[in-house]
Amino acid sequence: MPLAADADGIVVVVNPAIAVDALSRNDVINIFLGSVRRLPSGIQALPVDLPQDHPVRAEFYRLLVGKSPAEINSYWARLLFSGKTRPPLQAQRAEDAVSLVQGSVGAITYLERSKLSSKLKVVFELSQ
Amino acid sequence: MQAFWRQSILFRAAMQIIGIAMVVGFGFVFLTASLTEQYTQQSVSQRIRELMTTVERTVQIACFARDQALAQEVVTGLATNSEVLGATIVGGGEVLAEHRSAVAGEERVRRARAGRVSRPIVSPFDSSQIVGEITIDPDPEIVRARVRENGGFVALLLGLQLLVVVAAVAAVVLLLIVRPIKRMSDILHVMDARSIKPLAVPYGHDGTEIGRLVADINQLGQRLVASLDEERDLHVQCEIGERKYRAIFENADSGIFVIDRGMALQSCNNAFYRQLDLPRHGERDEKLNLRDLRWRAPAALGQLVNRCDVLNRPVSEDLEYLASDRESRWFSVTLTPVGNQLIQGLLTDISRHKLAELSAQQEAITDALTGLLNRAGFLQQLEQETVLPAGDEVAGFALLIVDLDGFRRVNEAMGLASGDQILSITAARLRSCLKSSDIISRLGNDSFGIILHSAATEVAANGVAMRIVSALKGYFEVGSPPLQLGASVGITLFPNDGSDPEALLRNAELALDHARLIGPGRFCLFDVTMAKNAEHRRKLENDLRFAVRRDELKIGLQPIADLSLRRMVGAEALIRWDHPQAGLIAPDMFIPMAEETGAIATIGLWMVEAVCQQLAAWKKQGVDYYLSINVSARQIPDGMPPITLIETVNRYGVDPAKLAIEITESVFMGNSEAAQIWLDAVHELGFRIYLDDFGTGFSSLSYIKRFPVDVLKIDKSFVRDMGEDNNDRALVGAIINMAGSLGLDVVAEGVESRQQLELLARAGCQCVQGFYISRPVAADEIEGVAARIPQLL
Repeated sequence: MPLAADADGIVVVVNPAIAVDALSRNDVINIFLGSVRRLPSGIQALPVDLPQDHPVRAEFYRLLVGKSPAEINSYWARLLFSGKTRPPLQAQRAEDAVSLVQGSVGAITYLERSKLSSKLKVVFELSQ
Repeated sequence: MQAFWRQSILFRAAMQIIGIAMVVGFGFVFLTASLTEQYTQQSVSQRIRELMTTVERTVQIACFARDQALAQEVVTGLATNSEVLGATIVGGGEVLAEHRSAVAGEERVRRARAGRVSRPIVSPFDSSQIVGEITIDPDPEIVRARVRENGGFVALLLGLQLLVVVAAVAAVVLLLIVRPIKRMSDILHVMDARSIKPLAVPYGHDGTEIGRLVADINQLGQRLVASLDEERDLHVQCEIGERKYRAIFENADSGIFVIDRGMALQSCNNAFYRQLDLPRHGERDEKLNLRDLRWRAPAALGQLVNRCDVLNRPVSEDLEYLASDRESRWFSVTLTPVGNQLIQGLLTDISRHKLAELSAQQEAITDALTGLLNRAGFLQQLEQETVLPAGDEVAGFALLIVDLDGFRRVNEAMGLASGDQILSITAARLRSCLKSSDIISRLGNDSFGIILHSAATEVAANGVAMRIVSALKGYFEVGSPPLQLGASVGITLFPNDGSDPEALLRNAELALDHARLIGPGRFCLFDVTMAKNAEHRRKLENDLRFAVRRDELKIGLQPIADLSLRRMVGAEALIRWDHPQAGLIAPDMFIPMAEETGAIATIGLWMVEAVCQQLAAWKKQGVDYYLSINVSARQIPDGMPPITLIETVNRYGVDPAKLAIEITESVFMGNSEAAQIWLDAVHELGFRIYLDDFGTGFSSLSYIKRFPVDVLKIDKSFVRDMGEDNNDRALVGAIINMAGSLGLDVVAEGVESRQQLELLARAGCQCVQGFYISRPVAADEIEGVAARIPQLL
């Protein structure tokens, strides 16, 4: 399964209604790991993470900040201690994440390029 | 006691050690503090950096997420560290969290800010992206507290150490140095210098400085004891010496005294009073001054004291002292400077020496036999008399020399004792002729000198001389029969004839010579011609010395004729002196002179030479004459050695028999033994011996028997009077007969007339000589004379 992802890479997608065409890597990092959850158009961003043990999730963070899922978890664990900054919303399944993006303006998630549909707008691409 | 403590070695050592330790300690504490400060600062910084590293990851997250709660949490955590005074976390341009100490003052905060440590914080996802900064202010009080704590500890440690060291040193010094020294010091302190006991070396101190010190002290002590002993001995000896010398001083025969430079008497012994005949006033006679005593010349004593004082060495002088009983004493005064301006003197009575000396002086100028002045005394007197006084008044005097005629003969004939008697009588008679103011002396053997003060004129002196001559004409009652001698007197006048003793004596001698010349028992006054004659004579004597060398001597020949052969058989060689200025000088004028000066030897040998030359000439001509030469007693034996005679005749090839030696009887009278040997030798060599002037002297047959005489020459005095005097005629006849019987030939001298010749011929005389035959002629005239002689006979 990771082989498919390896072949096609991972893309960051938003609702096509959003007037944002592309995001920088820093934009993506800030949206998924930081406290600034705002799109360049000024819309509140709602990052949606894949389930904990989803292979694409691990691949996404690896490609994005070079960290393992454990490290990411540890990161959030420290922020959770203060209670002010919360980690992205975690979907139960990958399909739930896509549906959330399709369903709401401002939601943003990631998926394998192969699983891309026309109702999604790619704003950033992660590849090997 | 307190002062003593301050000065004790222990106290001083402790104080010095404390002082040094404190200086060093402060240094150490200071050093420790500064090192501690540095170290603490470093360790605090290190600690801060470690703290930062510890919280870094969390801060990264907090900064990245701009999570103030997390940041606050971290800051609060940091603030719990004691080193941290304040901390700040800045993220995304805003302060996320900050902690400030609530209790720290402004100053502390300000100093903390100076040590602030900051570190930039990168994003946890991108190490190249700086997302914030963490700043920590370290608490300066920490450093200070640490420094204080460490410094205090070190100071405490050093203080303890110091205490221990001082205690240890004090103990060591006390035990090792102070106590032994104190013990020694205590012993020495109470020790009596007269009974020094050696100190014991403190335990364990053999060979240490203290041990050596003790040894040195003991040695010093021994030396001190030795010196004290020595000094005591010396003192004892001094005392003994002092007592001894005191005894010597007191009992000395010589006066010993000490005076100061003013001659005031300081001390003296008994002999001093005794010698100077001073009464002893008391033990200390301080008022006595040497100057006031009865010295004949007090000034001389003063000068002596001065000399001693100036030269600063012993001086001595003989001084005369007038003793109380008017008698004079002589003292040898020796002064020795003894320092302290004092002079020690020694007074030795030398009166006896002085008297002896005076009498010796007297003796030296006195003739022992007659008690008159001797020659030296007379000369001394004359010296005094002839010093012309400064004034124009000159006291003249006459100087007489009186000589006994024929005294030598009497002395020889009768012995010295008789001679001495005669001299004593003569002295007495002379004295009776003179006044007491006149001075009489014995100049020599039988010669007396007289200074006539009473008769300074010619007439007066002649009168006295006449009295003397007549007084000495009288018989001398010496032996039997009584003797009759005469006296000759020479007179000279002072100051007319001479002004110095020498000239006066010479003049008087000359006058005396003249008096003797004109006959015995005469007196003669000096006149200038005598001096001139004497001068002339002296000149001749001088010239005579060179006469042989200058070829001024000639021989004259007086023929001797044989009456039976009726011809000349030989001649007597007579010497002549052809003086370049004075002309011909007769032998009887210069031969005595030559005998006196010793020139006779040279002249005699020249004569032999000249005679041999003549004989050789005759031999060559075939003439058979002989020649005779006169040899005086003075020439025998050394003036004319026999060996020289024979050598000379041999050299000329002359027969010694042709050379006759004429001697007079005086030859026998001197050293007859030497004369005998000489005559025997000469006779043995073949020379003939003629006895000249026979009959005038002590003609003794024993001489003719004893000595090898060949021919007698009868003296002309007999021949002269033969014509008138029968006695002489008989005497001549007797001589001729006696000679004939003894086998001697006879030559009659002084034949002046035909009558004499005939008388002699009748008496049996063989040979004659005299003016009748011929006067002495030069050698080259002899031939002519010889030819005429036969007609005279």
